[in-house]
Amino acid sequence: MKTWLKGISILYKKEIKDAFLSPFVYILSGLFIGLGGWVFFSLLLASKNVTEATLTASVLTPSFSLYRFILMIICPLLTMRLLSEEKKNHTIELLFLSDLDNIQIILSKFFSSMTIVLFMLGLTVLFPVILGFSGYSDWGVVISGYAGLIFLSAAYISLGLFASSLSSNYVICLILAIFMMLGMWFMVLSAGNTENYIVGLILRYFSESFHFENFVRGTVRSFNFVYFLSFIGFFMFLTEKSLNSRKW
Amino acid sequence: MERAIELINVSKTYPGVTALSDVTFSVKKGSVHGFLGPNGAGKSTTMNIITGLIPPSGGTVKVFGEDVLQNPEKTKRRIGFLPEHPPLYGTMKVEEYLKFVQGINSLRSTVGHDDYQETLELCGLKDVSHRLIKNLSKGYRQRVAIAQALIGRPDIVILDEPTVGLDPSAIVEIRELIYSLRENHTILLSTHILHEVNLICDHITIINRGVITNSGPIRELQSASEETQVIQAEIMSWRDEIKPLLFRDLPLEDLHVQTKDDFTKLTFKLKGKDDYRAWISDILVKNNCQLLGLTKQSVDVENLFKSATEEESKGRFQ
Repeated sequence: MKTWLKGISILYKKEIKDAFLSPFVYILSGLFIGLGGWVFFSLLLASKNVTEATLTASVLTPSFSLYRFILMIICPLLTMRLLSEEKKNHTIELLFLSDLDNIQIILSKFFSSMTIVLFMLGLTVLFPVILGFSGYSDWGVVISGYAGLIFLSAAYISLGLFASSLSSNYVICLILAIFMMLGMWFMVLSAGNTENYIVGLILRYFSESFHFENFVRGTVRSFNFVYFLSFIGFFMFLTEKSLNSRKW
Repeated sequence: MERAIELINVSKTYPGVTALSDVTFSVKKGSVHGFLGPNGAGKSTTMNIITGLIPPSGGTVKVFGEDVLQNPEKTKRRIGFLPEHPPLYGTMKVEEYLKFVQGINSLRSTVGHDDYQETLELCGLKDVSHRLIKNLSKGYRQRVAIAQALIGRPDIVILDEPTVGLDPSAIVEIRELIYSLRENHTILLSTHILHEVNLICDHITIINRGVITNSGPIRELQSASEETQVIQAEIMSWRDEIKPLLFRDLPLEDLHVQTKDDFTKLTFKLKGKDDYRAWISDILVKNNCQLLGLTKQSVDVENLFKSATEEESKGRFQ
Protein backbone atom coordinates (compact mmCIF):
# COMPACT_ATOMS: atom_id res chain seq x y z
CA MET A 1 0.00 0.00 0.00
CA LYS A 2 2.83 2.35 0.91
CA THR A 3 4.51 1.73 -2.45
CA TRP A 4 1.19 2.19 -4.22
CA LEU A 5 0.68 5.59 -2.56
CA LYS A 6 4.29 6.50 -3.35
CA GLY A 7 3.51 5.97 -7.04
CA ILE A 8 0.57 8.38 -6.79
CA SER A 9 2.69 10.89 -4.92
CA ILE A 10 5.49 10.88 -7.57
CA LEU A 11 3.10 11.65 -10.43
CA TYR A 12 1.05 14.05 -8.26
CA LYS A 13 4.16 16.10 -7.43
CA LYS A 14 5.09 16.32 -11.10
CA GLU A 15 1.58 17.46 -12.03
CA ILE A 16 1.45 20.06 -9.28
CA LYS A 17 4.86 21.43 -10.19
CA ASP A 18 3.88 21.65 -13.86
CA ALA A 19 0.65 23.43 -12.98
CA PHE A 20 2.09 25.98 -10.59
CA LEU A 21 5.03 26.75 -12.87
CA SER A 22 2.68 27.74 -15.69
CA PRO A 23 0.79 31.06 -15.70
CA PHE A 24 -2.45 29.27 -16.57
CA VAL A 25 -3.36 28.45 -12.96
CA TYR A 26 -2.66 32.00 -11.80
CA ILE A 27 -4.72 33.51 -14.61
CA LEU A 28 -7.65 31.23 -13.77
CA SER A 29 -7.26 31.97 -10.04
CA GLY A 30 -7.16 35.71 -10.75
CA LEU A 31 -10.31 35.51 -12.84
CA PHE A 32 -12.03 33.34 -10.24
CA ILE A 33 -11.31 35.59 -7.29
CA GLY A 34 -11.86 38.77 -9.34
CA LEU A 35 -15.27 37.69 -10.56
CA GLY A 36 -16.21 36.11 -7.22
CA GLY A 37 -15.15 39.20 -5.29
CA TRP A 38 -16.98 41.60 -7.56
CA VAL A 39 -20.24 39.62 -7.29
CA PHE A 40 -19.84 39.15 -3.51
CA PHE A 41 -19.46 42.84 -2.81
CA SER A 42 -22.24 43.75 -5.26
CA LEU A 43 -24.57 41.38 -3.41
CA LEU A 44 -23.38 42.75 -0.08
CA LEU A 45 -24.09 46.33 -1.12
CA ALA A 46 -27.48 45.33 -2.50
CA SER A 47 -28.43 43.64 0.78
CA LYS A 48 -30.54 46.27 2.63
CA ASN A 49 -31.26 44.72 6.00
CA VAL A 50 -27.95 43.33 7.14
CA THR A 51 -28.96 40.52 9.46
CA GLU A 52 -27.57 37.01 9.67
CA ALA A 53 -30.57 35.49 7.88
CA THR A 54 -30.53 37.99 5.04
CA LEU A 55 -26.76 37.77 4.62
CA THR A 56 -27.02 34.01 4.19
CA ALA A 57 -29.96 34.26 1.81
CA SER A 58 -28.95 37.30 -0.21
CA VAL A 59 -25.13 37.15 -0.18
CA LEU A 60 -23.71 33.72 0.65
CA THR A 61 -26.20 31.48 -1.16
CA PRO A 62 -26.04 33.42 -4.46
CA SER A 63 -22.22 33.60 -4.12
CA PHE A 64 -21.96 29.82 -3.80
CA SER A 65 -24.26 29.40 -6.80
CA LEU A 66 -22.02 31.73 -8.79
CA TYR A 67 -18.91 29.78 -7.76
CA ARG A 68 -20.67 26.69 -9.04
CA PHE A 69 -21.06 28.23 -12.50
CA ILE A 70 -17.45 29.40 -12.55
CA LEU A 71 -16.33 25.89 -11.55
CA MET A 72 -18.34 24.51 -14.47
CA ILE A 73 -15.92 26.39 -16.74
CA ILE A 74 -12.74 26.16 -14.66
CA CYS A 75 -12.78 22.42 -13.96
CA PRO A 76 -12.92 21.39 -17.66
CA LEU A 77 -10.20 23.96 -18.41
CA LEU A 78 -8.01 22.38 -15.74
CA THR A 79 -8.69 18.80 -16.76
CA MET A 80 -8.78 19.10 -20.56
CA ARG A 81 -5.02 18.54 -20.92
CA LEU A 82 -4.51 15.98 -18.16
CA LEU A 83 -4.70 12.85 -20.29
CA SER A 84 -5.14 14.29 -23.78
CA GLU A 85 -1.73 15.94 -23.68
CA GLU A 86 -0.11 12.74 -22.42
CA LYS A 87 -1.64 11.00 -25.44
CA LYS A 88 -0.67 13.76 -27.85
CA ASN A 89 2.96 13.81 -26.66
CA HIS A 90 3.06 9.99 -26.36
CA THR A 91 4.17 10.31 -22.73
CA ILE A 92 1.20 8.10 -21.82
CA GLU A 93 3.34 5.22 -23.12
CA LEU A 94 6.00 6.08 -20.54
CA LEU A 95 3.34 5.87 -17.82
CA PHE A 96 1.85 2.65 -19.20
CA LEU A 97 5.27 0.99 -19.28
CA SER A 98 6.12 2.11 -15.75
CA ASP A 99 5.16 0.43 -12.48
CA LEU A 100 2.13 2.73 -12.22
CA ASP A 101 -1.29 1.22 -12.84
CA ASN A 102 -4.19 3.07 -14.44
CA ILE A 103 -5.82 3.83 -11.09
CA GLN A 104 -2.63 5.45 -9.80
CA ILE A 105 -2.38 7.58 -12.96
CA ILE A 106 -6.03 8.67 -12.65
CA LEU A 107 -5.82 9.43 -8.92
CA SER A 108 -2.60 11.45 -9.31
CA LYS A 109 -4.23 13.59 -11.98
CA PHE A 110 -7.43 13.88 -9.96
CA PHE A 111 -5.70 14.97 -6.75
CA SER A 112 -3.48 17.47 -8.56
CA SER A 113 -6.54 19.16 -10.10
CA MET A 114 -8.32 19.05 -6.75
CA THR A 115 -5.34 20.80 -5.15
CA ILE A 116 -5.54 23.61 -7.70
CA VAL A 117 -9.30 24.01 -7.18
CA LEU A 118 -8.80 24.01 -3.39
CA PHE A 119 -6.18 26.72 -3.84
CA MET A 120 -8.71 28.80 -5.80
CA LEU A 121 -11.53 28.17 -3.33
CA GLY A 122 -9.11 28.98 -0.51
CA LEU A 123 -8.73 32.46 -1.94
CA THR A 124 -12.49 33.06 -1.68
CA VAL A 125 -12.55 32.22 2.05
CA LEU A 126 -11.57 35.83 2.50
CA PHE A 127 -15.15 36.97 1.75
CA PRO A 128 -16.94 35.10 4.56
CA VAL A 129 -14.10 36.10 6.89
CA ILE A 130 -14.88 39.75 6.09
CA LEU A 131 -18.51 39.04 7.01
CA GLY A 132 -17.29 37.49 10.24
CA PHE A 133 -15.59 40.76 11.19
CA SER A 134 -18.93 42.50 10.91
CA GLY A 135 -20.55 40.04 13.30
CA TYR A 136 -21.76 37.28 11.03
CA SER A 137 -21.57 33.93 12.81
CA ASP A 138 -23.59 31.31 10.89
CA TRP A 139 -20.45 29.33 10.11
CA GLY A 140 -22.33 26.07 9.68
CA VAL A 141 -23.77 27.32 6.37
CA VAL A 142 -20.36 28.57 5.25
CA ILE A 143 -18.67 25.25 6.01
CA SER A 144 -21.50 23.30 4.43
CA GLY A 145 -21.37 25.52 1.31
CA TYR A 146 -17.63 25.04 0.92
CA ALA A 147 -18.01 21.27 1.46
CA GLY A 148 -20.57 21.35 -1.35
CA LEU A 149 -18.16 23.25 -3.60
CA ILE A 150 -15.42 20.70 -2.85
CA PHE A 151 -17.67 17.74 -3.67
CA LEU A 152 -18.95 19.51 -6.76
CA SER A 153 -15.41 20.29 -7.95
CA ALA A 154 -14.40 16.67 -7.39
CA ALA A 155 -17.38 15.56 -9.47
CA TYR A 156 -16.58 18.02 -12.29
CA ILE A 157 -12.90 17.03 -12.24
CA SER A 158 -13.70 13.33 -12.48
CA LEU A 159 -16.02 14.09 -15.40
CA GLY A 160 -13.37 16.33 -17.05
CA LEU A 161 -10.75 13.64 -16.56
CA PHE A 162 -12.96 11.15 -18.37
CA ALA A 163 -13.52 13.63 -21.23
CA SER A 164 -9.74 14.16 -21.37
CA SER A 165 -9.20 10.44 -21.83
CA LEU A 166 -11.40 10.34 -24.92
CA SER A 167 -9.28 12.35 -27.35
CA SER A 168 -5.75 13.65 -27.86
CA ASN A 169 -7.21 17.01 -28.89
CA TYR A 170 -7.80 19.03 -25.73
CA VAL A 171 -10.28 21.42 -27.34
CA ILE A 172 -12.52 18.44 -28.12
CA CYS A 173 -12.06 17.26 -24.52
CA LEU A 174 -13.05 20.70 -23.20
CA ILE A 175 -16.18 20.83 -25.37
CA LEU A 176 -17.14 17.29 -24.38
CA ALA A 177 -16.79 18.03 -20.67
CA ILE A 178 -18.80 21.26 -20.85
CA PHE A 179 -21.55 19.57 -22.83
CA MET A 180 -21.75 16.70 -20.35
CA MET A 181 -22.08 19.21 -17.50
CA LEU A 182 -24.70 21.21 -19.36
CA GLY A 183 -26.54 17.94 -20.01
CA MET A 184 -26.83 17.36 -16.29
CA TRP A 185 -27.92 20.92 -15.67
CA PHE A 186 -30.70 20.53 -18.23
CA MET A 187 -31.92 17.54 -16.28
CA VAL A 188 -33.07 19.91 -13.53
CA LEU A 189 -34.89 22.05 -16.08
CA SER A 190 -36.54 18.95 -17.53
CA ALA A 191 -37.41 17.79 -14.03
CA GLY A 192 -39.29 21.04 -13.47
CA ASN A 193 -41.18 20.70 -16.74
CA THR A 194 -42.26 17.08 -16.50
CA GLU A 195 -45.75 16.33 -15.18
CA ASN A 196 -44.75 12.88 -13.98
CA TYR A 197 -43.72 13.24 -10.34
CA ILE A 198 -41.53 10.10 -10.26
CA VAL A 199 -39.67 10.99 -13.48
CA GLY A 200 -39.16 14.52 -12.19
CA LEU A 201 -37.76 13.17 -8.93
CA ILE A 202 -35.39 10.80 -10.72
CA LEU A 203 -34.16 13.52 -13.08
CA ARG A 204 -33.61 15.87 -10.16
CA TYR A 205 -31.74 13.20 -8.23
CA PHE A 206 -29.36 12.63 -11.15
CA SER A 207 -28.54 16.32 -11.42
CA GLU A 208 -25.63 17.54 -9.32
CA SER A 209 -27.20 20.96 -8.73
CA PHE A 210 -30.04 19.42 -6.70
CA HIS A 211 -27.51 17.88 -4.30
CA PHE A 212 -25.32 20.96 -4.26
CA GLU A 213 -28.27 23.13 -3.21
CA ASN A 214 -28.71 21.00 -0.09
CA PHE A 215 -25.13 21.77 0.85
CA VAL A 216 -25.61 25.50 0.23
CA ARG A 217 -28.78 25.60 2.34
CA GLY A 218 -27.03 23.68 5.09
CA THR A 219 -29.53 20.81 4.84
CA VAL A 220 -27.14 18.06 3.84
CA ARG A 221 -28.41 14.47 3.81
CA SER A 222 -26.43 11.26 3.57
CA PHE A 223 -27.77 10.61 0.04
CA ASN A 224 -26.06 13.84 -1.07
CA PHE A 225 -22.69 12.34 -0.09
CA VAL A 226 -23.64 9.03 -1.70
CA TYR A 227 -24.55 10.85 -4.92
CA PHE A 228 -21.26 12.75 -5.19
CA LEU A 229 -19.11 9.75 -4.24
CA SER A 230 -20.96 7.56 -6.76
CA PHE A 231 -20.60 10.28 -9.42
CA ILE A 232 -16.83 10.52 -8.83
CA GLY A 233 -16.43 6.73 -8.71
CA PHE A 234 -18.50 6.24 -11.87
CA PHE A 235 -16.47 8.70 -13.97
CA MET A 236 -13.19 7.33 -12.62
CA PHE A 237 -14.35 3.86 -13.61
CA LEU A 238 -15.15 5.15 -17.12
CA THR A 239 -11.74 6.86 -17.32
CA GLU A 240 -10.03 3.62 -16.35
CA LYS A 241 -11.98 1.75 -19.05
CA SER A 242 -11.11 4.44 -21.56
CA LEU A 243 -7.38 4.18 -20.74
CA ASN A 244 -7.57 0.41 -21.01
CA SER A 245 -9.25 0.64 -24.40
CA ARG A 246 -5.91 1.77 -25.85
CA LYS A 247 -4.73 -1.74 -25.27
CA TRP A 248 -7.57 -3.40 -27.18
CA MET B 1 21.47 -20.02 -28.04
CA GLU B 2 19.74 -18.18 -25.22
CA ARG B 3 16.82 -16.24 -26.58
CA ALA B 4 16.13 -12.82 -25.11
CA ILE B 5 12.96 -12.32 -27.13
CA GLU B 6 10.90 -14.94 -28.90
CA LEU B 7 7.79 -14.37 -31.00
CA ILE B 8 5.81 -17.43 -32.06
CA ASN B 9 3.03 -17.05 -34.64
CA VAL B 10 2.14 -13.60 -33.41
CA SER B 11 -0.71 -11.91 -35.21
CA LYS B 12 -2.49 -8.61 -34.74
CA THR B 13 -5.71 -7.67 -36.43
CA TYR B 14 -7.71 -4.49 -36.32
CA PRO B 15 -11.20 -4.30 -37.82
CA GLY B 16 -10.65 -4.88 -41.52
CA VAL B 17 -6.84 -4.79 -41.28
CA THR B 18 -4.29 -7.50 -40.56
CA ALA B 19 -1.27 -5.68 -39.14
CA LEU B 20 0.77 -8.80 -38.34
CA SER B 21 0.37 -12.30 -39.65
CA ASP B 22 2.10 -15.30 -38.04
CA VAL B 23 5.18 -13.34 -37.06
CA THR B 24 7.86 -15.71 -35.79
CA PHE B 25 11.41 -14.70 -34.98
CA SER B 26 13.77 -14.58 -32.05
CA VAL B 27 16.41 -12.22 -30.73
CA LYS B 28 19.56 -13.80 -29.37
CA LYS B 29 20.78 -12.68 -25.96
CA GLY B 30 23.61 -10.17 -26.27
CA SER B 31 23.00 -9.43 -29.95
CA VAL B 32 22.20 -6.20 -31.75
CA HIS B 33 19.20 -7.15 -33.82
CA GLY B 34 18.06 -4.91 -36.66
CA PHE B 35 14.35 -4.88 -37.43
CA LEU B 36 13.75 -3.67 -40.96
CA GLY B 37 10.73 -3.02 -43.09
CA PRO B 38 9.08 -0.35 -45.21
CA ASN B 39 6.66 2.14 -43.66
CA GLY B 40 3.52 0.44 -42.38
CA ALA B 41 5.13 -3.01 -42.47
CA GLY B 42 4.30 -3.66 -38.80
CA LYS B 43 7.59 -2.81 -37.05
CA SER B 44 6.13 -0.50 -34.41
CA THR B 45 3.16 -2.82 -33.83
CA THR B 46 5.57 -5.71 -33.22
CA MET B 47 7.65 -3.63 -30.83
CA ASN B 48 4.58 -2.44 -28.95
CA ILE B 49 3.46 -6.06 -28.58
CA ILE B 50 6.87 -7.16 -27.27
CA THR B 51 6.84 -4.39 -24.65
CA GLY B 52 3.29 -5.25 -23.63
CA LEU B 53 1.84 -1.89 -24.68
CA ILE B 54 -0.70 -3.67 -26.88
CA PRO B 55 -1.73 -7.32 -26.72
CA PRO B 56 -1.42 -9.59 -29.76
CA SER B 57 -4.56 -11.05 -31.35
CA GLY B 58 -2.87 -14.43 -31.37
CA GLY B 59 0.45 -16.15 -30.77
CA THR B 60 3.01 -16.02 -27.98
CA VAL B 61 5.65 -13.48 -27.02
CA LYS B 62 8.35 -14.57 -24.61
CA VAL B 63 11.01 -12.48 -22.89
CA PHE B 64 13.77 -14.67 -21.46
CA GLY B 65 11.32 -17.56 -21.57
CA GLU B 66 8.54 -15.72 -19.68
CA ASP B 67 5.25 -15.16 -21.46
CA VAL B 68 4.60 -11.41 -21.81
CA LEU B 69 0.84 -11.85 -21.46
CA GLN B 70 1.06 -14.11 -18.42
CA ASN B 71 3.82 -12.24 -16.57
CA PRO B 72 3.58 -8.66 -17.82
CA GLU B 73 5.12 -7.09 -14.71
CA LYS B 74 8.10 -9.44 -14.70
CA THR B 75 8.86 -9.04 -18.41
CA LYS B 76 8.24 -5.27 -18.39
CA ARG B 77 11.08 -4.80 -15.93
CA ARG B 78 13.56 -6.49 -18.25
CA ILE B 79 12.77 -4.20 -21.20
CA GLY B 80 13.72 -0.58 -21.81
CA PHE B 81 11.76 0.97 -24.65
CA LEU B 82 12.25 4.01 -26.83
CA PRO B 83 8.99 4.37 -28.78
CA GLU B 84 8.79 5.93 -32.22
CA HIS B 85 7.73 9.23 -30.63
CA PRO B 86 10.09 9.96 -27.70
CA PRO B 87 8.02 10.21 -24.50
CA LEU B 88 9.51 13.42 -23.15
CA TYR B 89 8.12 16.14 -20.88
CA GLY B 90 9.49 19.35 -22.40
CA THR B 91 8.89 21.40 -19.27
CA MET B 92 11.13 19.18 -17.14
CA LYS B 93 14.88 19.44 -16.75
CA VAL B 94 16.90 16.47 -18.00
CA GLU B 95 17.99 15.32 -14.54
CA GLU B 96 14.54 15.89 -13.09
CA TYR B 97 12.96 13.87 -15.92
CA LEU B 98 15.30 10.90 -15.48
CA LYS B 99 14.75 11.00 -11.72
CA PHE B 100 11.00 10.96 -12.37
CA VAL B 101 11.33 8.00 -14.77
CA GLN B 102 13.42 6.19 -12.16
CA GLY B 103 10.79 6.95 -9.54
CA ILE B 104 7.87 5.50 -11.50
CA ASN B 105 9.91 2.47 -12.57
CA SER B 106 11.33 1.55 -9.19
CA LEU B 107 8.08 1.06 -7.29
CA ARG B 108 8.18 -2.73 -7.55
CA SER B 109 11.87 -3.28 -8.06
CA THR B 110 15.08 -2.03 -6.57
CA VAL B 111 16.71 0.49 -8.84
CA GLY B 112 19.74 2.13 -7.27
CA HIS B 113 19.35 5.75 -6.20
CA ASP B 114 22.29 6.79 -8.34
CA ASP B 115 21.03 4.95 -11.39
CA TYR B 116 19.84 8.08 -13.18
CA GLN B 117 23.17 9.76 -12.46
CA GLU B 118 25.01 6.87 -14.10
CA THR B 119 22.62 7.04 -17.05
CA LEU B 120 23.28 10.77 -17.42
CA GLU B 121 26.96 9.99 -17.63
CA LEU B 122 26.53 7.02 -19.97
CA CYS B 123 24.43 9.00 -22.44
CA GLY B 124 26.68 12.08 -22.34
CA LEU B 125 24.01 14.27 -20.75
CA LYS B 126 25.95 15.62 -17.77
CA ASP B 127 26.50 19.00 -19.40
CA VAL B 128 22.83 19.54 -20.16
CA SER B 129 21.40 17.91 -17.02
CA HIS B 130 20.01 21.23 -15.71
CA ARG B 131 18.50 22.36 -18.98
CA LEU B 132 14.84 22.11 -19.91
CA ILE B 133 14.21 19.27 -22.36
CA LYS B 134 12.22 21.54 -24.69
CA ASN B 135 15.29 23.77 -25.13
CA LEU B 136 17.61 20.93 -26.20
CA SER B 137 18.60 20.10 -29.77
CA LYS B 138 16.87 17.15 -31.42
CA GLY B 139 20.00 15.01 -31.00
CA TYR B 140 20.16 15.67 -27.27
CA ARG B 141 16.43 15.10 -26.89
CA GLN B 142 16.91 11.70 -28.51
CA ARG B 143 19.75 10.99 -26.08
CA VAL B 144 17.40 11.81 -23.19
CA ALA B 145 14.80 9.48 -24.71
CA ILE B 146 17.37 6.68 -24.96
CA ALA B 147 18.49 7.45 -21.40
CA GLN B 148 14.94 6.92 -20.10
CA ALA B 149 14.95 3.48 -21.77
CA LEU B 150 18.15 2.61 -19.89
CA ILE B 151 16.87 3.54 -16.43
CA GLY B 152 16.76 0.42 -14.27
CA ARG B 153 19.46 -1.25 -16.39
CA PRO B 154 17.10 -3.45 -18.43
CA ASP B 155 18.52 -6.56 -20.10
CA ILE B 156 16.79 -5.69 -23.36
CA VAL B 157 16.68 -2.28 -25.00
CA ILE B 158 14.15 -1.79 -27.79
CA LEU B 159 14.69 1.26 -29.95
CA ASP B 160 12.07 2.24 -32.51
CA GLU B 161 13.65 4.42 -35.20
CA PRO B 162 16.19 6.06 -32.85
CA THR B 163 17.85 8.15 -35.56
CA VAL B 164 14.84 9.30 -37.54
CA GLY B 165 14.74 13.03 -38.23
CA LEU B 166 18.24 13.70 -36.90
CA ASP B 167 21.01 15.57 -38.71
CA PRO B 168 24.04 13.55 -39.91
CA SER B 169 26.27 14.44 -36.95
CA ALA B 170 23.52 13.59 -34.45
CA ILE B 171 22.97 10.28 -36.29
CA VAL B 172 26.64 9.40 -35.84
CA GLU B 173 26.48 10.34 -32.14
CA ILE B 174 23.36 8.27 -31.50
CA ARG B 175 24.83 5.36 -33.47
CA GLU B 176 27.96 5.46 -31.30
CA LEU B 177 25.81 5.55 -28.20
CA ILE B 178 23.84 2.50 -29.35
CA TYR B 179 27.08 0.77 -30.24
CA SER B 180 28.40 1.36 -26.73
CA LEU B 181 25.27 -0.25 -25.25
CA ARG B 182 25.88 -3.60 -26.94
CA GLU B 183 28.26 -4.69 -24.18
CA ASN B 184 25.60 -4.83 -21.49
CA HIS B 185 22.30 -5.08 -23.30
CA THR B 186 20.48 -7.05 -25.95
CA ILE B 187 19.31 -4.48 -28.48
CA LEU B 188 16.38 -4.68 -30.87
CA LEU B 189 16.53 -1.74 -33.22
CA SER B 190 14.21 -0.66 -35.99
CA THR B 191 15.56 1.72 -38.57
CA HIS B 192 15.22 2.89 -42.14
CA ILE B 193 18.93 3.55 -42.51
CA LEU B 194 20.29 0.31 -43.95
CA HIS B 195 23.86 1.54 -43.68
CA GLU B 196 23.30 1.79 -39.94
CA VAL B 197 22.24 -1.86 -39.78
CA ASN B 198 25.39 -2.86 -41.66
CA LEU B 199 27.46 -0.98 -39.11
CA ILE B 200 25.97 -2.02 -35.81
CA CYS B 201 23.76 -5.09 -36.17
CA ASP B 202 24.80 -8.70 -36.22
CA HIS B 203 21.30 -10.13 -36.73
CA ILE B 204 18.39 -8.84 -38.76
CA THR B 205 14.71 -9.50 -39.29
CA ILE B 206 12.93 -8.09 -42.31
CA ILE B 207 9.18 -7.59 -42.16
CA ASN B 208 6.97 -6.70 -45.08
CA ARG B 209 3.19 -6.21 -44.93
CA GLY B 210 3.07 -7.84 -41.51
CA VAL B 211 4.92 -10.97 -42.64
CA ILE B 212 8.51 -11.90 -41.75
CA THR B 213 10.49 -12.44 -44.95
CA ASN B 214 14.02 -12.94 -43.58
CA SER B 215 15.44 -13.44 -40.12
CA GLY B 216 18.80 -14.51 -38.76
CA PRO B 217 22.48 -13.57 -38.53
CA ILE B 218 23.39 -11.13 -41.31
CA ARG B 219 26.27 -13.33 -42.54
CA GLU B 220 24.05 -16.39 -42.87
CA LEU B 221 21.40 -14.44 -44.74
CA GLN B 222 24.06 -12.99 -47.00
CA SER B 223 25.59 -16.34 -47.84
CA ALA B 224 22.14 -17.80 -48.46
CA SER B 225 21.55 -15.03 -50.96
CA GLU B 226 24.86 -15.54 -52.66
CA GLU B 227 23.52 -17.95 -55.27
CA THR B 228 24.68 -15.43 -57.82
CA GLN B 229 27.86 -13.52 -57.20
CA VAL B 230 29.43 -10.51 -58.83
CA ILE B 231 33.22 -10.18 -59.24
CA GLN B 232 34.90 -7.14 -60.73
CA ALA B 233 38.36 -7.15 -62.33
CA GLU B 234 40.44 -4.25 -63.53
CA ILE B 235 42.98 -4.95 -66.28
CA MET B 236 45.18 -2.96 -68.65
CA SER B 237 45.09 -5.19 -71.71
CA TRP B 238 41.93 -6.78 -73.16
CA ARG B 239 41.39 -8.93 -76.25
CA ASP B 240 37.97 -10.19 -77.35
CA GLU B 241 39.28 -13.74 -77.92
CA ILE B 242 39.67 -14.16 -74.13
CA LYS B 243 35.90 -13.96 -73.64
CA PRO B 244 35.12 -17.52 -74.94
CA LEU B 245 37.87 -18.88 -72.68
CA LEU B 246 36.24 -17.30 -69.67
CA PHE B 247 32.81 -18.65 -70.62
CA ARG B 248 34.34 -22.10 -71.11
CA ASP B 249 36.21 -22.31 -67.78
CA LEU B 250 33.83 -20.44 -65.45
CA PRO B 251 30.08 -20.83 -64.59
CA LEU B 252 29.49 -17.40 -66.10
CA GLU B 253 25.99 -16.01 -66.42
CA ASP B 254 27.10 -12.72 -67.88
CA LEU B 255 30.27 -10.75 -68.58
CA HIS B 256 30.28 -7.01 -68.98
CA VAL B 257 33.34 -5.33 -70.50
CA GLN B 258 33.86 -1.61 -70.15
CA THR B 259 36.99 0.09 -71.50
CA LYS B 260 37.85 3.60 -70.42
CA ASP B 261 41.17 5.37 -71.13
CA ASP B 262 43.85 2.67 -70.81
CA PHE B 263 41.89 0.50 -68.37
CA THR B 264 39.25 -2.18 -68.84
CA LYS B 265 36.73 -3.08 -66.19
CA LEU B 266 35.31 -6.61 -66.35
CA THR B 267 32.14 -7.46 -64.39
CA PHE B 268 31.58 -11.21 -63.99
CA LYS B 269 28.17 -12.51 -62.93
CA LEU B 270 28.67 -16.10 -61.75
CA LYS B 271 26.46 -18.89 -60.47
CA GLY B 272 27.28 -20.71 -57.20
CA LYS B 273 28.76 -19.90 -53.83
CA ASP B 274 32.41 -20.87 -54.54
CA ASP B 275 35.04 -18.15 -54.65
CA TYR B 276 36.14 -17.88 -58.31
CA ARG B 277 38.62 -15.06 -57.84
CA ALA B 278 41.67 -17.37 -58.02
CA TRP B 279 40.38 -18.95 -61.26
CA ILE B 280 39.69 -15.59 -62.86
CA SER B 281 43.07 -14.28 -61.82
CA ASP B 282 44.75 -17.40 -63.25
CA ILE B 283 43.05 -17.03 -66.66
CA LEU B 284 43.70 -13.30 -66.90
CA VAL B 285 47.36 -13.61 -65.91
CA LYS B 286 47.96 -16.49 -68.34
CA ASN B 287 46.54 -14.35 -71.14
CA ASN B 288 48.76 -11.37 -70.26
CA CYS B 289 45.86 -9.10 -69.38
CA GLN B 290 47.96 -7.18 -66.81
CA LEU B 291 45.59 -7.66 -63.88
CA LEU B 292 45.43 -4.63 -61.54
CA GLY B 293 42.68 -5.62 -59.10
CA LEU B 294 39.98 -8.13 -58.31
CA THR B 295 37.04 -7.60 -55.94
CA LYS B 296 34.05 -9.66 -54.95
CA GLN B 297 30.89 -7.66 -54.29
CA SER B 298 29.22 -8.77 -51.10
CA VAL B 299 25.46 -9.02 -50.71
CA ASP B 300 24.79 -6.25 -48.21
CA VAL B 301 21.72 -5.56 -46.11
CA GLU B 302 20.48 -3.15 -48.73
CA ASN B 303 20.29 -5.94 -51.32
CA LEU B 304 18.63 -8.26 -48.82
CA PHE B 305 16.09 -5.59 -47.96
CA LYS B 306 15.43 -4.82 -51.62
CA SER B 307 14.84 -8.44 -52.54
CA ALA B 308 12.64 -8.97 -49.46
CA THR B 309 10.44 -5.98 -50.21
CA GLU B 310 10.63 -6.18 -54.01
CA GLU B 311 7.26 -7.86 -54.36
CA GLU B 312 5.53 -5.06 -52.55
CA SER B 313 7.17 -2.36 -54.67
CA LYS B 314 6.32 -4.22 -57.85
CA GLY B 315 2.72 -4.58 -56.74
CA ARG B 316 2.55 -0.94 -55.84
CA PHE B 317 3.78 0.38 -59.17
CA GLN B 318 2.01 -2.07 -61.47
